Amino acid sequence: MKKLVLGLAAATALAFAGGAQAQGYPTKPITMIVPFAAGGPTDIIARIVADNMSKTLGQQIVIENVAGAGGTTGITRAVTAAPDGYTIAMGHLGTFSAAPATYPGLKYDPINGMQTIGLAGGTPILIVARKSFEPKDLKEFVAYVKANTDKVNEAHAGLGSVSWTTCTLLKGILGTPKINAVAYRGTGPALNDLVSGQVDFMCDQIVSVAEQVRANTIKAYAIASAQRSPALPDVPTTKEAGLPDYQIEAWNGIAGPKGMPKEAVDKLVDALNKALNDEGTKKRLLDLGTVLPTAEERTPAGFAALIKRDADKLTPALSAAPKQ
Amino acid sequence: MSLNQIERAQGLRIRSTQDFAGGLFMILLAIGAYVFSWELPAGTLRQLGPGMLPKAFAAICGLLGLMLSLSALRYHGEKLAGWSWRGIFFALGGACLFGLTIRGFEFGPIRVPALGLMVAGPLLIFFSGLAADDRKLPELLIFAVAMSAACILLFKYALSLPIPLAPWLLGI
Amino acid sequence: MMETISHLSLGFGVALTLKNIALCFAGCLVGTLIGVLPGVGPIATISILLPITFGLDPTGALIMLAGIYYGAQYGGSTTAILVNIPGEATSVVTTLDGHQMAKQGRAGIALGIAAIGSFFAGCVATLIIAALGAPLTKMALLFGPAEYFSLMVMGLCFAVVLARGSILKAFCMIMLGLLFSTVGTDLETGQERLTFGVASLSDGIDFSVLAMGVFGFAEVLRNLENPEARDVVKAKIGRLLPGWEDIKQAAAPVLRGTFVGGILGILPGNGAVLGPFASYTMEKKIARDPSRFGKGAIEGVAGPESANNAGAQTAFIPLLTLGIPPNAVMALMVGAMTIHGIIPGPQVMTRNPELFWGMVASMWIGNLMLLVINLPLVGMWVKLLQVPYRLMFPAILIFCCIGIYSVNNQPLDVAFTALFGLFGYLLIKLGFEPAPMLLGFVLGKLMEEKLRQALIISRGSFYTFIDYQERPISLALLIVAVLVLAIALLPAISKKREEVFTE
Repeated sequence: MKKLVLGLAAATALAFAGGAQAQGYPTKPITMIVPFAAGGPTDIIARIVADNMSKTLGQQIVIENVAGAGGTTGITRAVTAAPDGYTIAMGHLGTFSAAPATYPGLKYDPINGMQTIGLAGGTPILIVARKSFEPKDLKEFVAYVKANTDKVNEAHAGLGSVSWTTCTLLKGILGTPKINAVAYRGTGPALNDLVSGQVDFMCDQIVSVAEQVRANTIKAYAIASAQRSPALPDVPTTKEAGLPDYQIEAWNGIAGPKGMPKEAVDKLVDALNKALNDEGTKKRLLDLGTVLPTAEERTPAGFAALIKRDADKLTPALSAAPKQ
Repeated sequence: MSLNQIERAQGLRIRSTQDFAGGLFMILLAIGAYVFSWELPAGTLRQLGPGMLPKAFAAICGLLGLMLSLSALRYHGEKLAGWSWRGIFFALGGACLFGLTIRGFEFGPIRVPALGLMVAGPLLIFFSGLAADDRKLPELLIFAVAMSAACILLFKYALSLPIPLAPWLLGI
Repeated sequence: MMETISHLSLGFGVALTLKNIALCFAGCLVGTLIGVLPGVGPIATISILLPITFGLDPTGALIMLAGIYYGAQYGGSTTAILVNIPGEATSVVTTLDGHQMAKQGRAGIALGIAAIGSFFAGCVATLIIAALGAPLTKMALLFGPAEYFSLMVMGLCFAVVLARGSILKAFCMIMLGLLFSTVGTDLETGQERLTFGVASLSDGIDFSVLAMGVFGFAEVLRNLENPEARDVVKAKIGRLLPGWEDIKQAAAPVLRGTFVGGILGILPGNGAVLGPFASYTMEKKIARDPSRFGKGAIEGVAGPESANNAGAQTAFIPLLTLGIPPNAVMALMVGAMTIHGIIPGPQVMTRNPELFWGMVASMWIGNLMLLVINLPLVGMWVKLLQVPYRLMFPAILIFCCIGIYSVNNQPLDVAFTALFGLFGYLLIKLGFEPAPMLLGFVLGKLMEEKLRQALIISRGSFYTFIDYQERPISLALLIVAVLVLAIALLPAISKKREEVFTE
């Protein structure tokens, strides 16, 4: 059997050898680990960006979905892989900034233990509520929640999810960490109960809630970004609506294991930039309600600074959250 | 004296070894689950804790196991049948081999390199194929190679799934 | 009524272009071929095939995806019948009588009746979506956590009826399934429960790992042990397609299954999963001779399979009208739509009418394709059973291993499946039936989630489940649950008394 296997292997090897040794990195397909199931928001952004990056790099970027433990399983695998530039990961706010405070036994250090590549896109966060919820605007909402802390119900998509992370931050800022939190398995079911009025409010990404807001089945108080979103131009920013401290975006970015060759990092940064400047890719990302990253955020250093900034912002609220 | 009365007169004894063992098995599982969820807080009614349902389910499992064992003392039923260790060893062993070799494995001092589908596939088919009592080695060898080749073509090339092929040889 | 017709004609105008018919056909064919591999369930099939739709225009891509979805569903039923491996929760029931029929040399008839029943259910469900999609949405919104909890309790009571033999043992399996469902990180506090520190278990036991283990691997072990049993399958291949007698026998179950499955499919909390179980319960209860069930009764295939397909289709209603995916497969469809720039929501119907109605029309075409593709294929599938078992089981194993590996790309999952295979073998030896365990497992997760949500919202009051003023639906469901349980238990208890020492 060995002979047969070796023969088969040799034949396949020959077929690949042709293009392989012509130039430097990359000489073989690159694996991009997406730490969530196929079809989710991070997976979609990864597939759109990787599609264009593959063209620039001249090698296929293969998406590998490794789901588990709020995305930390996949990131752990990526950042502990051989630092040869052939294993990278698309993580998000949760896996890079919030994870150390959420998961005490985390096996990687997002600040010092990995090589950042760059930010792929940000997604604004909205504070939304059931249609019949009494407060009319954000100011009333803040006052109402503070006055009725034990009456209000908040929905979130499970510990470690973007909606849990951002809502915990909101509750930290409001000084009402004890609001009843109703946990759901994913954004879909949580949204369903918000639409049907079983729960009062939640925080989530614009991609998930924009259609419902437009159809007037739920209402949006504010968007937690610096600017309004073209997808929902009528929704004020938290700054305009009177809660300037609540600034948070759910972003997705690429990183790899620490110690990757400089050539690989440079080529990946370049490919990411070209993808984000490509008209087709840009349009697909903008259609999702994504905010394109600034020039600074597209560099390894800029992305690392963003991770650090958001980690500092989230850690106090997340550490104080009732868990474990 | 009717048949029923004769039976009853013989008192309690294990009348169905299968049910009796099944009951014991449930009790063991329940005790295991209860012990391992011991540390988890049960919480209050207003805010159920993570330990409430595992403990409740384990308790019910144990109770049902007890009922099953007791009923085995009263009612007749199936007897326990023998095991086939060969099937377990080869078929399940083959699957484990596949899991260990497809991407490599590291557990303490044991290290298996990532061999990829090109090795793990034939290994699984050949090893598990040994479990059949009517096995024919040459046929199995050819089948192992042909089937693996078909799987590689189907999953790796036609469907482009991210399965390692032979990282030690081809780098993919 | 007029409106429905004009909508449908718009839809058929879109769907009946040569290109879209070809896409629908291709999707169904590829979906069936991949979905039929043991170990590759519908979720795996759709995620594997998702990338091939990327190059198409949105309408074409969605039509093809819908085709893949039906193909994968039907492919899953084929594996359940032929090799006794359910690819997902809804085909668990099909293994009970479907595989028994295959063992009796009636595999072709089982496959045929499944295809015909599914086609009928698909046609009815398409009409329901077209005519009643919008109003039915409101029903979905009536279900809060308390109603769902009661619905799950009712589902578990149905599971008792699945028992072949001892009801006590069926209870054991349901509770064991519930116990297994609690494994994994706690949703609210993030605490690890019964995971033994294993990373693969932190998100709980994967359905495919459990199902492939206790059904697929354990079945292989069982067959290896008694060569006579497996040779029966290849010895007899009776007629390939169902005759009039079979169709007459199956007609009423198909009708009832379509009705039950269609209704449950609309509920957004994965109500579709209950459809086949409910249908099976109903058929077994109203059958003149319930003891035939589990031994190859055609009603036990026809009813649940129709319910399965009706539910699979009406599950699109919450997605298309509310934009809320009711289960994992539909969540995947949302991802696919989003990639194509369509974000499902309440306004898809008005903003993209061609897409919406084109997709509805393509559902019917997809079901027709299934019939066209599968009736000729039945012969081929049945012939596959003639492959000597010494070669068939290694092939089953490698498909299972690759399928399980590719769900999460975690090699440890394969080892876990082997472990559950051993567990399943032990269950067989101890005379336990694994089907109720799987239902307990699927419903357990949702049940715990909904119980805790309901109690948080009601601030710890159990009254919320039987509050006849605020939550009449919840109360009604619990009453049905109690009735089902009583009907199932009473004859068993009285029969047991008579039979006590007669053996």
